[in-house]
Amino acid sequence: MSARAHVASWFAWAPGLEDRPAWEVWAQAPEPLALEGHPDASFLPPMLRRRCTPLTRLVLTAAFGALAEEERPRVRTVFATRHGSINESIELLHQVVAGERLSPTKFSHTVHNAQAGLFCIAAGNRQASSSLAAGADTFACGWLEALTHLEREPGRPVLLVASDVPLDPTFAVLVKEPPGAYGLGLLLARAGTGPAFDLDLAGRGAPGAQPWPDAAEFLRFLLAGEERLELGRFGFTRAA
Amino acid sequence: MTVARPPCRLAALGVVNALGGDAESVWRGLVAGEPSRLSWNDALVPGRRLLVGAVTERLPEIPAALARFGCRNNAMALAALRQIEGPLREAIARAGAARVGVVLGTSTSGVSDAEAAFRYQHDHGGLDPAFDYAQLEFGGLAAFAAEWLGVRGPVYTLSTACSSGARALASARSLLAMGLCDAVVAGAADTLCGLTTNGFGALQAICEGVTNPCSKNRSGLTLGEGAAMFLLTPEAGGIQLVGAGESSEAHHMSAPEPSGAGAEAAMRGALDDAGLAPDDIAYLNLHGTGTPLNDTMECQAVARVFGTALPVSSTKPLVGHTLGAAGALEAAFCWLMLERSERGELELPPHCFDGERDPEIPPVHLVGKGESARPGAMLRVMTNSFGFGGNNCTLVLERQV
Repeated sequence: MSARAHVASWFAWAPGLEDRPAWEVWAQAPEPLALEGHPDASFLPPMLRRRCTPLTRLVLTAAFGALAEEERPRVRTVFATRHGSINESIELLHQVVAGERLSPTKFSHTVHNAQAGLFCIAAGNRQASSSLAAGADTFACGWLEALTHLEREPGRPVLLVASDVPLDPTFAVLVKEPPGAYGLGLLLARAGTGPAFDLDLAGRGAPGAQPWPDAAEFLRFLLAGEERLELGRFGFTRAA
Repeated sequence: MTVARPPCRLAALGVVNALGGDAESVWRGLVAGEPSRLSWNDALVPGRRLLVGAVTERLPEIPAALARFGCRNNAMALAALRQIEGPLREAIARAGAARVGVVLGTSTSGVSDAEAAFRYQHDHGGLDPAFDYAQLEFGGLAAFAAEWLGVRGPVYTLSTACSSGARALASARSLLAMGLCDAVVAGAADTLCGLTTNGFGALQAICEGVTNPCSKNRSGLTLGEGAAMFLLTPEAGGIQLVGAGESSEAHHMSAPEPSGAGAEAAMRGALDDAGLAPDDIAYLNLHGTGTPLNDTMECQAVARVFGTALPVSSTKPLVGHTLGAAGALEAAFCWLMLERSERGELELPPHCFDGERDPEIPPVHLVGKGESARPGAMLRVMTNSFGFGGNNCTLVLERQV
């Protein structure tokens, strides 16, 4: 079935959940994610790290953690983030309204694919890369977009990074969603040894049914060894 | 490597940009090759008059039931969708709402309306009650289109800066090939706004007057806005999307790698994906932004892949650089060329500039006014899109005579 992908490896980071053993403990008794905090991303060159927003640090930490060094330049990538750099865009929008001059660097770092671009630079990666958003369905649509890359080039694994930080308070009041700062990197492949999942659109779940983000819910499902997960309209079934 | 996949028909197109609000006026403007539909704007950047490719048609109202999506970007998308509402509704009825997907691209979403909401906040101290986050978030564009159409398949918005629209078509084709959808609505919309005009202004990337691609006098881009929406079906015949090539540059956030290696990889990838040789391509729509770096690196890459005989042109002097919509709009221009070809003759959109070619750029064949091509039994055209973050996507469209 073409909508199948193996999880070859993963890495996740949220404040207080900073390595695999911590997530394995969390998955036994999950609770909402913390809102504040971001990784130090000390593996990055200082020049690059200095420019990193909290979201960028989360994304790059999840991405580098999920990949062996030799894989970093070789994978295709998909970055799924509902809000992306909107908190930084909001700062720029205030400046636009006030008639102030924008910083060219800040402007070019607020595109939705800013983290993708920075990953490619940091990893020396010249492969295809997508960045997307889909409201409450962002995680599942990121998985789906990763499948489209496996369709285009079945032999090349795809790194899916799902990440968000809490939205600026002005807008947060307008959005109902399980909050949290997190980054999850999943290395997906058409074949391999990791557990495989089939994606379908027969889900009957309510979006945001659990009090933590969908990406964390997927990780809980992965670690718990459960058979079926429904995230909104999307269903994940563990392949035998 | 070529993946065996079912056909991918670009079955219908709705399009709006500075040239007009329907396919016929866009096509006429394209082959006329006059940037006369650009207009001056002094409200976008403080203290500066900008020539922009603004859409001057009145855009449709967002239906009251979808008021939370009410913004110019979604109205732009709706203007394009309404042009093909008949074929879209038929395809949905045929496939069933759950088997129809929506994959769109944008780089601005509803930022232009968010700016108005921020002005309101500055003046009144609270959020404009008419403002909803669904207007600003990137996912809002595809969500709006899906709700307007009443479809329940996969719905998401790709945003990879100026390659967003091309990428949406590539992903939509894969959704059909995977058998997850029986029809996909794919395309893009982008809107002129203070954020992008001031941002590109700060990067000193906007020229005075009209952009002048491949000229020795070129000094930057002209911004624009627009939307192009396609219906994709897994049927043979008509106009087919046959190739997509993608690359990243790992070089710089806002400047292309100067040798054109990333552009070359995208073009070669699209040819490989389509199982074609360079000689199979009859025309290439350049990314052609008119910035000094882009045109040099792109023409070098084109010359390495195709030599200098292939007819090429940039259509950005006619409509402006529509950023997130550019990839879909330029695919739309390719679609119109193929659709309107008669007896194997392809009328080509001319390359508009001041005629003073940059001697530092390889002598690629820039299309002149009134020029056409007669490539043979298969008409195949290519379009390039390169974005911030070093994100490239090239598409190949085909029609059998």
